[in-house]
Amino acid sequence: MSTLSVAGRAWRWALWAWISICIVGAFLYAPLAAKFIGQSSRILFFHVPMAWTSFVAFIAAGVWSILYLWRRDPDQDRAAAAAVEIGLVFCFLATATGAMWARVMWGAWWNWDPRQTSISVVLVFYAAYLVLRGAVEDLEARARLCAAYAVLGLVVAPFFFFVLPRMVSFTLHPDAVINTRAKVEVESRMLQVLLASSLGFNVLFFWMHGVRVRLLRVAARRAPQVELEEVPA
Amino acid sequence: MIGGGGIGMVMIVNLVIWTGLFLYLLRLESHVRDLEKEP
Repeated sequence: MSTLSVAGRAWRWALWAWISICIVGAFLYAPLAAKFIGQSSRILFFHVPMAWTSFVAFIAAGVWSILYLWRRDPDQDRAAAAAVEIGLVFCFLATATGAMWARVMWGAWWNWDPRQTSISVVLVFYAAYLVLRGAVEDLEARARLCAAYAVLGLVVAPFFFFVLPRMVSFTLHPDAVINTRAKVEVESRMLQVLLASSLGFNVLFFWMHGVRVRLLRVAARRAPQVELEEVPA
Repeated sequence: MIGGGGIGMVMIVNLVIWTGLFLYLLRLESHVRDLEKEP
């Protein structure tokens, strides 16, 4: 089994420690939020960072897609696909944790609240990206179509994550961290844990993404007929 | 709803899940590195 360099090993274990501290902080350091039932507000430190991370992943997929359309480098196509795949995992987890919280606060797992509706649209939109990826056989055409689709996501994702939920006034969802008055009105210890957790989840995303891209590259080398190969310079 | 007494247990479960995911990722990355070295 191959080994990592000391620096490579150090930052990974630092991430483990960072997220572990965030978990402990979420349960023992951050106070309970007002107007929330029981301990339910603690899910905020996982639910919100997961949603933010999925947004970062979808934006990153759009940026990598632009780079693919510009340079036609298969690695950019793989990076975009990996970002969508992992972004979907985070988006699903954000939806699931939101549903758990809704069960406690609103009495039902799903209420068709504007935020629940908008995140379900995002989930379907990016699930369709993967369906598109599986449906086109020609590798060049697949990469081009998927890249164009992910670039469209640069408009769709911000709209459904940030614009639409703020446009509708009839929501059960509590104020977002950056609220409709463009202010952050979160208790300072809660904000510390929330930001630290968001940073940790984002680093985790980029780590997972790096591993997935390398795996896709190995798959391309082994079975070039199913994955785009590097074009020799 | 989680009672105050159970919150420590929920925290430990979260830590166990995170540590499991972390160790799995380390192992997966190591496996990928081996695959990359294969001719």
